[in-house]
Amino acid sequence: MEPFLRYWLRWPSVEQLIYQHLWVWGVCQSLHFVGMVLLIGTVGMLDLRMLGMAKQLPAAALQKLIPWGVFGFALCLATGFIFVTGIYANINVHPYVVLTSDVFLQLKLFFLLLAGLNLLAFYVTGMAKAVDHMGPGDDAPRLAKVFAGASLSFWIAVMYFARLIPSGKFQP
Amino acid sequence: MTPVLEWLESTWLSTTLRDSPNVFLYRTILAFHTLGLAFFVGISSAIALRILGVGRIVPLAPLKKFYPIMWIGFFFNAVSGLLLLIIEPTKFLTMVDFYVKLVVIAGAVYCNRALYIRRFRHPAAVDPNPLPAGDRALAVTILVLWGAAITAGRLTAYDDANVQWQTAVATLVVSVVMLVVGFIVVRLFGSIRTALKGDPTTVVPSHGNATVR
Repeated sequence: MEPFLRYWLRWPSVEQLIYQHLWVWGVCQSLHFVGMVLLIGTVGMLDLRMLGMAKQLPAAALQKLIPWGVFGFALCLATGFIFVTGIYANINVHPYVVLTSDVFLQLKLFFLLLAGLNLLAFYVTGMAKAVDHMGPGDDAPRLAKVFAGASLSFWIAVMYFARLIPSGKFQP
Repeated sequence: MTPVLEWLESTWLSTTLRDSPNVFLYRTILAFHTLGLAFFVGISSAIALRILGVGRIVPLAPLKKFYPIMWIGFFFNAVSGLLLLIIEPTKFLTMVDFYVKLVVIAGAVYCNRALYIRRFRHPAAVDPNPLPAGDRALAVTILVLWGAAITAGRLTAYDDANVQWQTAVATLVVSVVMLVVGFIVVRLFGSIRTALKGDPTTVVPSHGNATVR
């Protein structure tokens, strides 16, 4: 498994891009933040509405903003992909080493996974449909509130641990 | 100015935060700066997008309730930002980019406040559609300023002014290209969809005053 991952995680094309242009890394970082902002702005708002804030908002209407959150997530995913596959060009450490030894990166990815599973459960349990029918003044079902609270906490954890990543220890 | 900066850098707060063996301390302040940003800029941007016509069926008046969350986010950022500044005053206060960032944020805060007063302090019973040009101009300004603030903020991580300039220009170019391509793709997708549906009433009018999105 290790040789396979070591081979596939380093992308020479991405590394070349980062070596050749000083701005690539910084532009990706800015876009990563813009994506985060769009995601938290839209998904966070819907979560807060489910938790009981701004109850006069029909939740279904608020879901119209979600595509921008999805776009934001896609931006984060695309730029995150560049960070992982091109990290060797930035800090001279193999992405395999970073992924297997930086506990903060691992925690970030773990909470990202939890946020994803939480979203999946939100749809599978039918809560997404129930929320879709919430008009002005309606209270969200208790289970939906649990998902909303979990979603907010998981995303906050993702952002928190992301900021700790550079302090992680890399052991080759 | 240098003696003042050196003095700031030698204060108890600065040395304690900077030289702490606890890696979590500095990084946690940084994390709070990011969390505050996510909620402040996130909610502000979502409201700005709504003003520009995204999710037109979202009634505006209840969005007022999210403003306190926004300002709490801003408070987190102000406090964590001040601490980050005290840790490295010489680095930041001698950096042009840092002042650019401050001015841009001040502008964004002002525009958010102005938008709140215009649109949310006394919300209309029925939201005008489209909203007045003044509101939309404020929303565009807010989004542009946030993009600039994020970029300027990210650039404070670099010491080389030349790299900062290059990255700033590249970010601008990439953003404009993404916006143009995104706009074209959305328009194309929209016209393909209406063409497939074959519904003449939903065809985007050609005189530019698009009411169907």
